[in-house]
Amino acid sequence: MPMPSSTLTSARGAAASSARLSVAQLTHSFEAEEGGAVPIFAGLDFSVGSGEIVSIVGRSGAGKSTLFNLISGLLPPQSGRIAVGQRADGSPGRIAYMLQKDLLLPWRSVLENAVLGIELFRKVTAQDLERARQMLARYGLGAVADAYPHALSGGMRQRVALTRTLLVEPTLVLLDEPFSALDYETRLALEDDVMALRQSNGTSVVLVTHDIEEAIAMSDRVIILGGRPARIEQALDIKLTVEGARTAISAREAPEFRTWHAQIWGALRGHTTQPGGLAA
Amino acid sequence: MSDVTLSSTPLPPRAKRRRKKRDLTSAGAVAAIMIALVALWQISAARGWINGQLFGSPAGIVKTAQIGFTQGTLVPDTLATLYETVVGLVLGSGLGIGLGLLLWFVPRVSGIAEGFSVLLNSIPKIALGPLIVIWFGSDMTSKVWLAGISTFAVAMISSCAAAREVDRDLLNLFRSFNARPSMIFRKLIVPGALPWIFSTLRVNIGFALIGAVVGEYIASQAGLGHEVFVAGSLFDLNTVWLGIIVLTLMATLLTWIVQFAEKRIVTWKTKR
Repeated sequence: MPMPSSTLTSARGAAASSARLSVAQLTHSFEAEEGGAVPIFAGLDFSVGSGEIVSIVGRSGAGKSTLFNLISGLLPPQSGRIAVGQRADGSPGRIAYMLQKDLLLPWRSVLENAVLGIELFRKVTAQDLERARQMLARYGLGAVADAYPHALSGGMRQRVALTRTLLVEPTLVLLDEPFSALDYETRLALEDDVMALRQSNGTSVVLVTHDIEEAIAMSDRVIILGGRPARIEQALDIKLTVEGARTAISAREAPEFRTWHAQIWGALRGHTTQPGGLAA
Repeated sequence: MSDVTLSSTPLPPRAKRRRKKRDLTSAGAVAAIMIALVALWQISAARGWINGQLFGSPAGIVKTAQIGFTQGTLVPDTLATLYETVVGLVLGSGLGIGLGLLLWFVPRVSGIAEGFSVLLNSIPKIALGPLIVIWFGSDMTSKVWLAGISTFAVAMISSCAAAREVDRDLLNLFRSFNARPSMIFRKLIVPGALPWIFSTLRVNIGFALIGAVVGEYIASQAGLGHEVFVAGSLFDLNTVWLGIIVLTLMATLLTWIVQFAEKRIVTWKTKR
């Protein structure tokens, strides 16, 4: 069904300073069944800098999915501004997202799936295909580029989805529980892949998750959403002492990891309506 | 990065072989039972246990087939019915599928059109036979129409549903890539609907055949339905049986062709 395309570019509002994403005075509500409005956000503000990884955590129903849909442009905000910053060369920025479901098209080969994003806005060139093959090879998928998705394991499929996301050269990658269906080892590997993005091309990442460990391990900043309408209860700059590079494993071994975990867990539990209920 | 391995195909080779063997065994059993029944029928008719006039007999059917093939009209009749069925099937299903899919562009109209096609589908199409014959005459055109009408609504309803039921998350993914509706249609809706389209086609083979044969019953100069109808009124049971057998073979052949095309086109489903 046709829907007005909602390109999130800097044209839609001047981006504040060098932020890759700036959310300003975002207000949104849903219509309740009785006709009233249920406020989801009332004046939400935050921004994501270049190469920054920001996690948004909150209890179920805190508005994480709505925020995801608003940022990705699937849902137009009722008021407020969501702006995607320009690239360094002044060209418009671009958001691409990835979900828990890999959303690969079964009738397309791995390579054809990977270039889908390009194909939908311009003709795919031989150069694009070469770039896609290289990126697939980097993710260990070189041998299966011409296979079909049903032949792949869950982790491989999710890497194809990541390749598809990255090939459109987004300035901001938006992830919604992207690894929660994967086994632990594969998940750590994919977390590393995402963390490597900012080193290689300065891509910013917004991760919407309920997994506190994943949020701490990957993020520069964890934003805790809570209350109704949801507001930012805390924004924690995650500092971890690791030897060498920060990876999914070394981050989890950092001495501060447990402390951060306890703090976020406590913050989430603070707003449990059922006393003693698990806030996950 | 964890090391990656190709996941095994759903059925390991040995299980596949076992299943193939089982398929062959049951096909053999079906054939054996059929042969036994036909033999019993032939013996009963030859010994006079049953009335050959009322039931026909396998030997009689074979003889009728020989005569029909060499001197009679079996071949042109078969070709006439085949033509009516195939043209009706292709036109009726083709239009139904095309329209059903295109309605995806206009969700508001799609609801109305679907209501109409449900209404059309609940008409027993055969009841329209006399009307169609009055409008289009007693030659093959009216049978093509009847076969086409018999398949149109089913094709439209199911392709409309297939287009509508497309995974919402996939639709959102395409939108997040700023895909134009025409792109979404070509690259998501149509390929996604293909498995449904093929299963509709398979079902519609039967409907088209019924439309063509019943059209021939009503008024015709040729066709297997024509032969069966005439032979029936003359108590020529062997010819009736022959017509039924050829019609069954025709339906089987058409189903094979559709299945073959499906295997070639919908590779991602059959490879599983």
